[in-house]
Amino acid sequence: MSTESTNERTSKPNAEAKAMQSDVPEQYRKNATPERGKAIIELSGVTKTFFRGKEPLTVLDGLSLSIEEGGFEALMGPSGSGKSTLLNLIAGLDRPTSGKAIIAGNDIGAMSDGELAKFRARHIGFIFQSYNLMPVLTARENVELPLLLTKLSSTERRKRAETALRVTGLENRMDHYPRQLSGGQEQRVAIARAIVHDPTILVCDEPTGDLDRKSADDILELLTKLNVDFKKTILMVTHDPAAADRATITRHLNKGRLE
Amino acid sequence: MVPIKYNVRNLVVRKSTTAAAAFGLALVVFVFACALMLANGIERTLGRAASPDVVVVMRKGSDTEMTSTVEDKQVSLVLAQAAQIGAAKKPVGVGEVLAVVLLDKVGVDGVSNVTVRGVTEDVFAFRPSAKIIEGRAANPGSDEVVIGSGLKGRFKGMNIGESFELKKNRPMKVVGIFDDDGSAFESEVWADVHVVRQAFGRSGSVSSVRVRLDSPSKFDAFKTLVEGDRQLGLIAMREADYVEKQSQATGIMLKILGGMVAFFFGVGAMIGATITMNAQVAGRSREIGTLRALGFSKGSILFSFLIESLVLSLTGGVVGAVAAIGMKAVKLTMLNMGTFTEIVFGFEPTPTIIISAVGLSAFMGLLGGFLPAVRAARVSPVEAMRG
Repeated sequence: MSTESTNERTSKPNAEAKAMQSDVPEQYRKNATPERGKAIIELSGVTKTFFRGKEPLTVLDGLSLSIEEGGFEALMGPSGSGKSTLLNLIAGLDRPTSGKAIIAGNDIGAMSDGELAKFRARHIGFIFQSYNLMPVLTARENVELPLLLTKLSSTERRKRAETALRVTGLENRMDHYPRQLSGGQEQRVAIARAIVHDPTILVCDEPTGDLDRKSADDILELLTKLNVDFKKTILMVTHDPAAADRATITRHLNKGRLE
Repeated sequence: MVPIKYNVRNLVVRKSTTAAAAFGLALVVFVFACALMLANGIERTLGRAASPDVVVVMRKGSDTEMTSTVEDKQVSLVLAQAAQIGAAKKPVGVGEVLAVVLLDKVGVDGVSNVTVRGVTEDVFAFRPSAKIIEGRAANPGSDEVVIGSGLKGRFKGMNIGESFELKKNRPMKVVGIFDDDGSAFESEVWADVHVVRQAFGRSGSVSSVRVRLDSPSKFDAFKTLVEGDRQLGLIAMREADYVEKQSQATGIMLKILGGMVAFFFGVGAMIGATITMNAQVAGRSREIGTLRALGFSKGSILFSFLIESLVLSLTGGVVGAVAAIGMKAVKLTMLNMGTFTEIVFGFEPTPTIIISAVGLSAFMGLLGGFLPAVRAARVSPVEAMRG
């Protein structure tokens, strides 16, 4: 799928969603009709303290936050404001020092490492600033990775990976290695990997940070499509005001507190 | 589970470090397999000289034929005892004298001991596996000798038509070359028993008596009969046991030597594998973090890196084993620690040796790769977020 066609398609979202969902497996549609108004991310009085030597460093300071299912929210703030730490907590990469973080019904603070890994595999789709693709795997193999944690057959995994790559417009690049792709294309592979297992929440850490304006706009268009047409809940940390504009809600974090 | 192709391709991508580590492991496997193959070669070479129904009779207290003396009248007695128990077709047995001559090596400086066996004229009838392959048998009572094929061309005088000195001014002429299925006899010179006795002043006695019983099961009865006569002062042992005792010293020494070299090389190669795998883990911490973020468990990361180390070490192991098998073509000479004479032998691989050598590489890979794999499993998923 070319960039142009992405724009064209998203200009008529309903038709596109229908067309897209016709060849999207059942699993994709499962979370496609979120209950609006129901909080999928609920943080109350969350504190995160790191220790630098014996010196405690409070990065998140009694933070409370609620994000609705199907929302597209941007998180902005200066460096060191705690954006990444907050994103890590919501993605289940880390636990809060105190307070409660309930993500998709799971109490993050009470889970073991193993439980958190399972939680991430089931509920979280990651989109990183530097794409984080495995350089030795092809686009299709990269996208298949999260499915290796499911009980799907290899044929089914392959089919779903190809569908995800089609959704992100990379049907002609499936057997390419990351080094053979442009930055924008790499990020599309990463997005396909993030959605292939139909997670509850897409967590994006500066998704356009390494891209030129044109590629960045294409990626943002794709994220919008995933939110509007596929009803994905998206939480995006960004420095880019143009990216934040795409979100329905933008929150600002400063010194560990929401403004 | 993290797909194995992920590990294999990572090894392929980092060709030079992978090759260096695999080479180290290959070297260990090569040395280890060669040592075992040599020990096996020696055991087989000496072992081939043993027939199950042949018994060696020597003087009590003698470890080798070289140090044993059996008087002529005792020889007749032993042969009669064998016939009484039940001996094979003629000849029932042979009394042989062993001597050692110092011969100049060909191609290199130096001399080495060569065993000269004084044999009776029916030696080829007694040892049916030995056959003349070149020239002819020696005339009884003459200064003619036949030599084992292992000696041919390796010492001065060791060729048909050439001669060597049994004693000073006592030249012996080589008239034939014999083969004996690769046994240690192939490293011997066979001369007339009377000539050897005379030359070495051993008239009236031989070194040992070999008898061939009509069944290996009659050994115990024969042994009781021979050793029961205390006045004789002789011991009887199966040829196989005798040969095993002979090869034991050399075989054990080789295995210890090979084992030690393999151990020290192995420690080095294992450190090499650890360093390589550690570098892999350090260089891929963001990838590992990403895999953890995607939901792969610590256990699956640990397993994945152990597999990677295993693939690396098995690659080295297979290369080393193939190279070791190639050594089959090489023949070596060595001092037999039992008799202090030279024997010619080769590297003889067996499936067990090859499997254990490759197994050793797998073991080294897993052991060397364990700490890096633990380190990989400990990579925090937060690493994925670091730019």
